Amino acid sequence: MRNKKLVNYAKYGYLFSIPFIVAFCLFTLYPVIYTFIIGFTDLKGAGNTEWHFLPTVGKNLFANFKDVLTSGTFQKAFKNTWIIWIFNFIPQIGFALLFTAWFTDRRSKVKGTGLFKILFYMPNIITAATLAILFNVLFGYPKGAFNDIFSGVAKVFGVTREAYNFNAHEWPVKIIIAFVQFFQWYGHTMVNLIAGVIGISPEIFEAAEIDGANRVQTFFKVTIPCIRQIMLFVLVTSLIGGLNMFDIPQLYIGTKANNAGLTTNMYIRNQAFGGSYLYNRAAAASVILFIIIVILSSILFYILRDRDEAKLKKLRKQELKAARKGL
Amino acid sequence: MKKVIAGVLSVAMVAAFAAGCTTPETDATGATDATGETVETDSTDATDDTEETTTAKQEMTIGTGAEVINLWSFTNEIPNMVNQYVTQNPAFGEKYTVQCTIIATDGGAYQQALDAALVAGGDTAPDMYAAEAAFILKYSQGDMAKFAATYESLGIDVDAKAAAAEIAPYTIDIGTRDGKIVALGYQATGGAMIYRASIAKEVFGTDDAAEIENIVGAGSGNWDKFWEAAATLKEKGYAVVSGAGDMWNVCEKSATQPWIVNGELNIAPEREAYLDIAKKLKDEGLSNDAAGWTEAWYADMAGTGAKGVFCFFGPAWLINYVMIGNCGGEAEGQGTYGDWRVCAPPVGFFWGGTWVLGRDGTAHAEGVAELIEWITLDTSETGLQYLWANDKMGNGAKDTVASGVVMAKSDGTLPFCGGQNIFPAFIAGNANASGKAMTQYDETINGYFTDAATQYAEGNLDRDGAIEAFKTNVSDNLSF
Amino acid sequence: MSDNTIKASSIKRNDIILKVVIYIVSIIFSIMTLFPFVMMFANAFKSTYEVQQSTLTLWSAHPFQNLAKNWQVINSKDFHPFVGFLNSFIVATCSTVLNVYFSCLTAYAIQAYEWKFRDAFNGMIMAIMMIPGTVTMIGFYQAVYKLGLVNKLSMLILPSIAAPMVVFFMRQYLQASLSMEIVQSARIDGAGEFRIFNQIVIPLMKPAIATQAIFAYVGSWNNLFMPLILLTDKNKKTLPVMISLLNGDIYRTEYGAIYLGLFVTVLPLIVVYAFLSKYIVEGVALGGVKS
Repeated sequence: MRNKKLVNYAKYGYLFSIPFIVAFCLFTLYPVIYTFIIGFTDLKGAGNTEWHFLPTVGKNLFANFKDVLTSGTFQKAFKNTWIIWIFNFIPQIGFALLFTAWFTDRRSKVKGTGLFKILFYMPNIITAATLAILFNVLFGYPKGAFNDIFSGVAKVFGVTREAYNFNAHEWPVKIIIAFVQFFQWYGHTMVNLIAGVIGISPEIFEAAEIDGANRVQTFFKVTIPCIRQIMLFVLVTSLIGGLNMFDIPQLYIGTKANNAGLTTNMYIRNQAFGGSYLYNRAAAASVILFIIIVILSSILFYILRDRDEAKLKKLRKQELKAARKGL
Repeated sequence: MKKVIAGVLSVAMVAAFAAGCTTPETDATGATDATGETVETDSTDATDDTEETTTAKQEMTIGTGAEVINLWSFTNEIPNMVNQYVTQNPAFGEKYTVQCTIIATDGGAYQQALDAALVAGGDTAPDMYAAEAAFILKYSQGDMAKFAATYESLGIDVDAKAAAAEIAPYTIDIGTRDGKIVALGYQATGGAMIYRASIAKEVFGTDDAAEIENIVGAGSGNWDKFWEAAATLKEKGYAVVSGAGDMWNVCEKSATQPWIVNGELNIAPEREAYLDIAKKLKDEGLSNDAAGWTEAWYADMAGTGAKGVFCFFGPAWLINYVMIGNCGGEAEGQGTYGDWRVCAPPVGFFWGGTWVLGRDGTAHAEGVAELIEWITLDTSETGLQYLWANDKMGNGAKDTVASGVVMAKSDGTLPFCGGQNIFPAFIAGNANASGKAMTQYDETINGYFTDAATQYAEGNLDRDGAIEAFKTNVSDNLSF
Repeated sequence: MSDNTIKASSIKRNDIILKVVIYIVSIIFSIMTLFPFVMMFANAFKSTYEVQQSTLTLWSAHPFQNLAKNWQVINSKDFHPFVGFLNSFIVATCSTVLNVYFSCLTAYAIQAYEWKFRDAFNGMIMAIMMIPGTVTMIGFYQAVYKLGLVNKLSMLILPSIAAPMVVFFMRQYLQASLSMEIVQSARIDGAGEFRIFNQIVIPLMKPAIATQAIFAYVGSWNNLFMPLILLTDKNKKTLPVMISLLNGDIYRTEYGAIYLGLFVTVLPLIVVYAFLSKYIVEGVALGGVKS
């Protein structure tokens, strides 16, 4: 009986997916295929629309891919992206979880959590350009807020301290960018997590309370498992967003400081718009980045997969098969 | 609480936008909705603001004619000029409609949109378009040059007219493809050395331009005497320049070989010298170590930086649009106002500028030619360049222009420079600048090179390491 | 008895310490958050040169004179605040509604129904989500120019129907909070599938919809690059595109006016956010009954 129903309703699955598929095919599919193909061609130069597959001009089909992978600049960009992402993501998820725990705790009577929840998302509505300018001014050299503070403090202790050029050195640049990223996104992550917690039925918390669980236990044993799906979302989308990081590092530092803030996505744009318009290499680099993201996300999906659900699915499939055979 | 905030904000917004609406069109529509009385009070309230506003607002559709000329640019400068032209020549406005498209250069958007529009072609393709120094080479000699019409093919007797107008040679070099002119500018941005008279007097005992030129070795083509002067300045506690970046433009634009020669990266000696210049300035403490366009740089214009700064290198626009505003005063005696003088630099250079192009195959060649000729080649007192040089275009500045003929009959006396006529120094700058060593890759390559110099100066890389890093960047990102 | 009181009082003390920590950390973060807004606001009252000399000072010599002048600059540069606001409003609102609604629908299709290509479709959405947008973007605007579809707001609105990341979020949310029993009982009551989706599932997803709507709205409102390239007609430009015009040449950037423009742009966002944040702020369960 149940199986029959499920089969009956299948057509709605198709029906409800149509808008997505149509919009995707109309607006995104062509550029995606185009990009994929361009990676195997000799297309370069602004305003150029003529291209040939590499073998037809006597080159290896994968020459662009090889160029990208063996390029020191790409390798550096890839390494930078990881470093900046990790330095931004760990505090980001940490603080987002902490605030989620604090602001969704039914037992603490902290006033003003509503206001804090609203405020903390606000850095996300400022444009990256504004943030980049602001932080450039803060870390300005030789005049800048931080340099002024440091030399002020030094003066109190009777030392003269020379202004430090934050933006000329690799590590300060990376850490500042990671901080701006953190600043821009922790509220966003927090809002996602809170939405997940709000979706949990209050009865679960009541039950935990009755069972005598304290707040820390409740958070780790009840809240986190209940928002595991949202956590997976946060992890995967942060990973994708992190590997595509572009505007803050681009606007804050560009290729300065010996490419200290160069990310893979910036590398791709520099290929495409740097002056030689190497669309083919940019496309190849995009495909490489895509493959990396797919592999890493798959690992995440695998680690965080819902084991019960997977089992259930298998069972259901077997049931279905059995039912069909029975028919 | 939240609702209150939201409410207050909404009211503020509506008020803000209502204020913004008091342009004539919206006033007119508002009048039909509201009673006569309220409109009256509205308009009296807003007269102070709107009167000026409406006069300043430019139209993006100029003229009423049947033939439509699409004009693309990245600022409102050229649309303003077209407006002026149509005011002077109503007949043009009756024959043509100039449809202006302005796209900001943010993140390369202007170039990308322009490229797409040129490639797509058709009725809406640009007939006339502007390009600035950073990317003009791409449109005049590089990848996109195939879309540019030669001025000759548009019907302009360009060679004779350019010679007669004494157009600055570097602007012609940049706008020439295979011996034919495809782009010319109106502004000339030949550079001078802009120095502080009071510091000159204290350190060198004179503020006379000719003597200072002698002291820094103006026109010598090298920096030897300049360094001597810098050492003297340091003894008295002054910095010769604000930062190394100030000297980059000079080094870059004085080069006689381009970055790319026969498909190979080539570092011209004038440019390579910048590595040592940046290192010397840093190691010997000859500058305030400020980067361009930062607070420290602007402070040096006001004379409030760590050390007094002797000079800046730049074209007239640096004085007009950056230094005057940032000097810390509005009259002699306030800040550094009135304390600046100009003289010829040790090495010739230019910095910035805008060029105008017509699209090959435009259906309105005649109209495009008329506008281009008026903007780039007309030397009369009703020509654009005369109006531009003599502050008759509403810029609030006397700027240098490409035509030597126009410059000769214009007056560049500036109270900011203690009443000095600044034009002769800049005319010399225009003549000395060279546009022969430029490529479409310059903006990107310059970025990599100046960063390599900074890394070397900071001590993060040694000299060879800096050059190596630079070469890697160019080969990895530009494939040279 | 006395043991209990000691325990209770130590719990109380811990509570107070925790509260103090929460307040201190929250206030530090609040100050950090407000800082850029204060800066934007303060700079709107400055002249370009005041901004250049010192971006972080909060006062200006002639604040109101400067504000009036900045407003005038904004108005003189092909900047029609009301037109820009309207265009931004149309694009952001329409694309947010389409984005969120169709993402819910797609997520529901995957979550609630069993169909042959379901897993393949889901996998495809995940894959689309992982495509780096940089280069595909070039193909997109070139195609738009080729097809002569420049200056159509719909080119910025309709693509948001297919928003893989939002579908992903909605699906994760449904997994945690949709109980099929509700759907089944509605079916027994004779409700059609589409009606069930609109009248039962959508209300169930309010917190998820609110958050994703905020993100979508902010993203669309602040979007600069695509509109910059695709909207060349002054009557079609959005607010951020208009502000970009203030950048002008390297040497004539009107900083005071830019900050005023940025501030005018961010205000509507704050209003939208304040209204939608109800669902984030209220700690009540708006979600389903899956337990």
